Amino acid sequence: MVDAAAAVVYMDPAGLKAIGAGLAVGLTGLASGIAERDIGSAAIGAMAENESLFGKGLILTVIPETIVIFGLVVALLIS
Amino acid sequence: MLKPKQMSRAVIVGHKDIMEATVEAIHGSNLFHLEDYNEDGSGLKLGRPFKNAGEVSKKLIQLRSISSFLGVKKESIPKKKETTVINELDSMLDQLDIEVSTKTEKKSELDSRLKELETLKKDISPFSAIPIDMELYHNYESIKVFAGTVKENIGSAVSQVTSTYEMEYDQSTGTVALFIKKEDEAKISEILSNFEFREIRIPEITGTPSTLIADITREEEGIQKQITSLETDITSIKDKYSEFILASEELLTIESEKAEAPVKIATSEHTFIMDGWIPDDQFATLERTIESATNGRAFVSKQRITNADTDIIPIEYDNPKITQPFQEIMDLYARPKYKEIDPTSLIFISFPLFYGMILGDIGYALILLALALGIKKMVKSDAVKPLMNVLIYCQISTLIFGVLYGEFLGFPLASLHTDHGIIPGLIAGFETITLFNSPVGGEVITYPIHRTHIVMTMIIATALIGSLHVNCGYVVGFINERRKHGFAAAMFEKGSWLVVELGIILGVLGYTGYAPTAIIGIIVFLIGFVMLIKGEGAKGAIELPSLLSNALSYTRLIAVGLSSIYIASTVNLIAFDMILPQGGIVAVIGAIIVFIFGHALNTVLSIIAPGLHSLRLQYVEFFGKFYEGGGRKYSPFGYIRKYTEE
Repeated sequence: MVDAAAAVVYMDPAGLKAIGAGLAVGLTGLASGIAERDIGSAAIGAMAENESLFGKGLILTVIPETIVIFGLVVALLIS
Repeated sequence: MLKPKQMSRAVIVGHKDIMEATVEAIHGSNLFHLEDYNEDGSGLKLGRPFKNAGEVSKKLIQLRSISSFLGVKKESIPKKKETTVINELDSMLDQLDIEVSTKTEKKSELDSRLKELETLKKDISPFSAIPIDMELYHNYESIKVFAGTVKENIGSAVSQVTSTYEMEYDQSTGTVALFIKKEDEAKISEILSNFEFREIRIPEITGTPSTLIADITREEEGIQKQITSLETDITSIKDKYSEFILASEELLTIESEKAEAPVKIATSEHTFIMDGWIPDDQFATLERTIESATNGRAFVSKQRITNADTDIIPIEYDNPKITQPFQEIMDLYARPKYKEIDPTSLIFISFPLFYGMILGDIGYALILLALALGIKKMVKSDAVKPLMNVLIYCQISTLIFGVLYGEFLGFPLASLHTDHGIIPGLIAGFETITLFNSPVGGEVITYPIHRTHIVMTMIIATALIGSLHVNCGYVVGFINERRKHGFAAAMFEKGSWLVVELGIILGVLGYTGYAPTAIIGIIVFLIGFVMLIKGEGAKGAIELPSLLSNALSYTRLIAVGLSSIYIASTVNLIAFDMILPQGGIVAVIGAIIVFIFGHALNTVLSIIAPGLHSLRLQYVEFFGKFYEGGGRKYSPFGYIRKYTEE
């Protein structure tokens, strides 16, 4: 058994940074996905009615994409 | 260039005698956007179709049904003379109709027979293991027949009720055929219901099931053969007539468009009035065409465009040839309105620029360039061509940025000395040149620019590029607004954003101590803010933080690019550093496979990711600042001939 205090000493800052970066990208990716799911299905529905709505649908769908971009930027800043 | 084509409203008036000649002339010139007339109680009525309309549309329907039955595809064929097509139209159409209709009838007959046989086979198949003639299931006076499925053998249960019965049971399908006396029916059906009996309909035919099924299978095979030979016949008819069908369909479409035209036109008892739009520079041509077609008996006049009209003016782009592919990207969003700036030429610059900034890799640029050129050459479709041209522009930009970044399929071209040692480049002896220190993050700007090593600098640089682009949007918005509602409205709605930004810059400079402008900055900001509230209302205040989020959104220019580099270099790492050193021929093949598939995947991603993100920056961040859109498409009354010529 390694005691807790010793384990803290061995925590590698680079590893923690990597975990942080991973969380930043992963969680924001999930968030974008959840947000885009609803918008995307609504956009497809609208497009089925009127194909000329493709442009608007695309825009609305990719708006939450910014969330994961911010996550990616944060990850880059961390690492 | 930055404006849609100037349009004129034209009205053509004449006597009904010359209506047909006028319609003919306008349709031939393919310039006049005919406005549909709606009866509005002014006494003018919609016209009636010309008298050949019924006949033409009848032929057209006949031809189209034949064409869809034969499955004639649109392909490029040598153009046919209109007169030859007209001359042979009637006789050919009759001949074709006879040939095709016999085939259609025959085919549908065979199809329905095939279906019949299939149902029959399905009905009989449960009895296939029971060697009783199908005829013997019916027509008894004192015998009751149960035929169907049960869950297990019912022999013992039935024998307890009566001994006078005949039973056939097929273990594998659970089919049972039970013959009993009529008077036992009630008791037996009770037993059967305990065994989950399900009745099966007995088809009214004679013969034992196994021979019947064999017969049916044989007949089906025969029918299949006939259908196949019929299909070969149909294909040969199609090959023989497809040129004629394409040419005559085009001709009849043209004729029917002309014949139906009067139903869009206002007429009185003796006159007609055509209302519509034409590009300003073509007005004289239209006038001349109509004059020569009607001996000057029709009156063509140019109307003044009123303010109320501007929303319905059809929009025709007016861009130099080089920027025309980007009209497709505009159409994807919406056509500009008549008085708006047409931003096609603006996204002609910014779209490929951002695409190139994101991808920036010589290898991918060359692969995609070859791909785009290849597809452009192979596919003749008018829809694909502009998109390929857009892709080609993007790849040229990518190539330039690739040289700037010094990247080839994820490998750096130049070797780089860092604190952690030397990263070798692909080109031996090509050393990274240090240019100057970046003001942020202690990073060094070099040539080639190693994006992966100056992330902080790049994030700030891309955000600045974003601010610049967004401000371009405000300036364009200012021009649009000034045109529509005057200088004051433009200043409050769009100019206020620039003032707010100026205030923020001055304030930041003041607080960071570069210049003594902190107070001035706050004052300018507040002035801008008040202007914004006046111009846009509460919405303006809510949108204020979007200044920051919009600029930050442009950091995707580096972020998406880095993710592409990392995928590429991971592929390279796996192929060359992990698999290849294993040694042997297997490792070499494995490395090559990983390399090819990995980069193929990344190539596909290299179209989608930079394309979509660059597109989004145009649509959301840029267009959001000024663009309204929603103009109608200019579609002149006429036809572009593909298969025939006059």
